[in-house]
Amino acid sequence: MTQPFIDTILEEAISWIESNKQVVLATVVQTWGSSPFQIGSKMIIDEKGNFLGSVSGGCVETSVITECVELIKSKNSFKKIDFKVSDENAWNVGLACGGEMTVFIEQIN
Amino acid sequence: MKIEILKEIIKKKLSDEQFAVLTNLSNGSSEIYKIGIPLSNNFINYKNDIENYYNLKKSGVINNTEILIQNYIKPIEVIIIGAVHITQYLIKFLKDLNFDVTVVDPREYFTTKQKFQNIKIINKWPEEFFKNIQTNSNTALITLSHDPKIDEPALKHALKKKFFYIGALGSKKTHKNRCKRLKDEGFNDKEIDSIHGPIGIKLGGKSAPEIALSIVAQLVSETNKYKNL
Repeated sequence: MTQPFIDTILEEAISWIESNKQVVLATVVQTWGSSPFQIGSKMIIDEKGNFLGSVSGGCVETSVITECVELIKSKNSFKKIDFKVSDENAWNVGLACGGEMTVFIEQIN
Repeated sequence: MKIEILKEIIKKKLSDEQFAVLTNLSNGSSEIYKIGIPLSNNFINYKNDIENYYNLKKSGVINNTEILIQNYIKPIEVIIIGAVHITQYLIKFLKDLNFDVTVVDPREYFTTKQKFQNIKIINKWPEEFFKNIQTNSNTALITLSHDPKIDEPALKHALKKKFFYIGALGSKKTHKNRCKRLKDEGFNDKEIDSIHGPIGIKLGGKSAPEIALSIVAQLVSETNKYKNL
């Protein structure tokens, strides 16, 4: 499980910043069970909720985007988010695969 | 993450050498790591674990810590012999799958820029090409030219260097003759059997994109087996 050199999400992040967007980088840092995406999968999100890349098969994207927009508003620089099927919100978040994952979100500044 | 670190990662990706990005998930600090580069105070306490993950090319949060290591390693290189019609479809699949692709064909008229944009094209005979590059088992070879003069020197090189994947286009009959010639050249049965020929998994298709898909499916399957060794 390694980072592909050819993946261009970080380059995209730079170009977003250069066009004066506020950018949060979300990275899958831990997975358990049948989480669909591997460690290191990335997504970037701006203050308006526009996003590029992916951290799951689509299951937790919406929740990650909301958290990232909140992070920009809160002025905090990072947050670790656990998505667990045993959580009360699991149904809303929709990790239907039964996996668990931790996503680290951080502002780029 | 600081934008300077992000820019540094992008720069390092161009060098093709392994490096890692370390992140302390409890305070958000990040830095770039390579063997031999001293660690900052944020990470120095985890030196042994970091080195261990780095050497294993493993990414993840180090057990019982808040330290994330993400290893960036050079992608697997795929050398395609023959800039034929199938090659055009093959390189599309391979790019999306993060392989590093080089196409070798001495016939310049086969390799026009319109057909092969943003791809390393080498207009040399394979013997000459392999003389000038370093290859090892971390390389895959796909021969598609159909012409033994072009394909076979490449196959011989790949067998000697023990490429993890070697595939050769051609019918069962063509492949049988090819194997016979390789045997006459002194390669043993085990080596010859390591060639996937006829190349690809059985999809039943005959069109160029279907053949490309069948080749790429086999390559991905073999690559995953190789990586998990």
